[in-house]
Amino acid sequence: MTAGGPTAAARLAGQSELGRALDEGAVCTEVLPLEGNLFQISFQAPRLAGLAQPGEFAQIWVERSPVPLLRRPFSFSRADRRQGQVSFYLGAVGEGSRRLRRFHPGDRAQLLGPLGLGFTLPKEPGRSLLVAGGLGAAPFPLLADRLLERGEQVIWVNGARTSAELYPEELIPAGLAEVVQFTEDGSRGERGRVTSGLVRYLAGVQRVYACGPNSMLAMVFGLLSEHPARAATECRLEVSIEAPMGCGFGTCLGCAIPLRDPDDGQGPVIGLCCRQGPVLKGSLLDWEWLLQQPAHLG
Amino acid sequence: MSGQGRDFDPRVDLGRGLVLVNPIGVASGTFGFGFEAEALGSIEHLGAIFSKGTTRLPRDGNQPPRIAETTAGMLNSIGLQNPGVEAVARDYAPRWASWRVPVLVNVAGADIAEYVEVVARLDGVEGVAGIELNISCPNIAHGMDFATEPGAAGRCVAAVRRATSLPLVVKLSPNVTDIAEIARAVEDAGADALSAVNTYVGMKVALYARRPVLPGAGTAGLSGPAIKPLALAAVAKVRRAVGIPVIGIGGIATATDALDYLVAGADAVQVGTANFTNPQASREVVEGCLAYAEQHRLQCWSELRWRELDHPGWQETALPVD
Repeated sequence: MTAGGPTAAARLAGQSELGRALDEGAVCTEVLPLEGNLFQISFQAPRLAGLAQPGEFAQIWVERSPVPLLRRPFSFSRADRRQGQVSFYLGAVGEGSRRLRRFHPGDRAQLLGPLGLGFTLPKEPGRSLLVAGGLGAAPFPLLADRLLERGEQVIWVNGARTSAELYPEELIPAGLAEVVQFTEDGSRGERGRVTSGLVRYLAGVQRVYACGPNSMLAMVFGLLSEHPARAATECRLEVSIEAPMGCGFGTCLGCAIPLRDPDDGQGPVIGLCCRQGPVLKGSLLDWEWLLQQPAHLG
Repeated sequence: MSGQGRDFDPRVDLGRGLVLVNPIGVASGTFGFGFEAEALGSIEHLGAIFSKGTTRLPRDGNQPPRIAETTAGMLNSIGLQNPGVEAVARDYAPRWASWRVPVLVNVAGADIAEYVEVVARLDGVEGVAGIELNISCPNIAHGMDFATEPGAAGRCVAAVRRATSLPLVVKLSPNVTDIAEIARAVEDAGADALSAVNTYVGMKVALYARRPVLPGAGTAGLSGPAIKPLALAAVAKVRRAVGIPVIGIGGIATATDALDYLVAGADAVQVGTANFTNPQASREVVEGCLAYAEQHRLQCWSELRWRELDHPGWQETALPVD
């Protein structure tokens, strides 16, 4: 048992190891502008680049000033051990991300990480399906890299409302078995949501990883729960979710999420997105609660 | 920097035998029960740790979302999520017993009986260095009842005082008409020291949604640099009202912030919200304060205090005549 944390939740969903985390002074190497307010920012941070695992995140201290006050949590999008670089994919939507968008090469930030529990990587090579909705693609380049290293066959289903919000195809790692694009307005790839064509790619898939809006995640979960192949392939779903986060390491208790033990009828236990997540097994999430969460107001 | 022919004493005596090696602590609710910080790095630099608020039974806390950032501050409405006093006494205290840094357990309750029961359970438990009585939580029903009226505050503290021989610090709410009269009532009831202040009640609104960002009544506790001038004023007011040590809290992120509180009448301070952004904040504050003391050849921290606090050459009209 780990004292100091939500112990019932830790027993249910595991808990991140804070002992791995460090606060690295990082130097911005590139800000790559993409469509609209989207961009990719890279930092020279050799220690983090060596430690980061897919689905884990860093708390970026944008500026040592009272505004913005808190760090901003972002999943590692890339971790290049050889170059000693880490990258993040984000949209300039709030005070912190807007300032990061204005970063120039040479600008410095403190990166605390790796934090959180990331994706489970397979022990034996098989076939994985990555389902990305908009900005939810953020953790998948690193995940795809690490899956490919293990000889995994990877299918990337890339979706967004419009082509402008789609994760850029040129940033998707090479060597995937298949990349499928969906846009709701049909401006690129197939017209529709990622979920509309998902079943076509489920054959032979052992693992599904999803990240995107809560409504999309819930649809993926529902689809897999009903799908006949689920039992046959022992298909497992892991989703990366978001919550308003204060510290990122379990002391502020701000990012509470209710978790359910699928094997008992008990009420939910309170977990933390930063310690039990951000990646969670689909079966542990309280989907009803997740869908009730308002779009981020803060 | 030697040969100054002086002997600086960085310690602070909070009463009843509780002497901190330096005046820098970490505030309740910003440091858990100390174990995350222990995992992230050393905690040994600290003068004291004030634990997460602890109640008789485990509490799940409030529905999310629970926090929101504001200009130079943050709102929280955690709702006292904690594992309950039994787990704290049984599982956590034995680990604290091996630490050099004293841990004071922040205790919250819904009524006097609960406060007394929790404090009694912690009395004599090895590893528990003292109690910080939280009579001022803004985020639970009745949480502030004991902080807003001097009679109730005094009765609560007196009952707790009878239940423990541990050092007893009482944490005051700033959300009152006159914090000085509460401070005096709490001192008269047997508190060894006071913490000032807890969070200010605040609200953040999402215009486009035409509602507050946080659920329920939409209100929550505001902390961070935004409240520092307010909290400094409250600390000075409390300092003039009582004779026991005062621990200043509110927006301390740097050594300068901490030293400002010592000027305003605090004997010690707690670093709070800054712990979330910078896990090394309290270490930087300790090192910066000690460096300042060295540089300015202090012999004790109280040399920093604004002299007029103890011997006012002016009359404050808001001070009731004794």
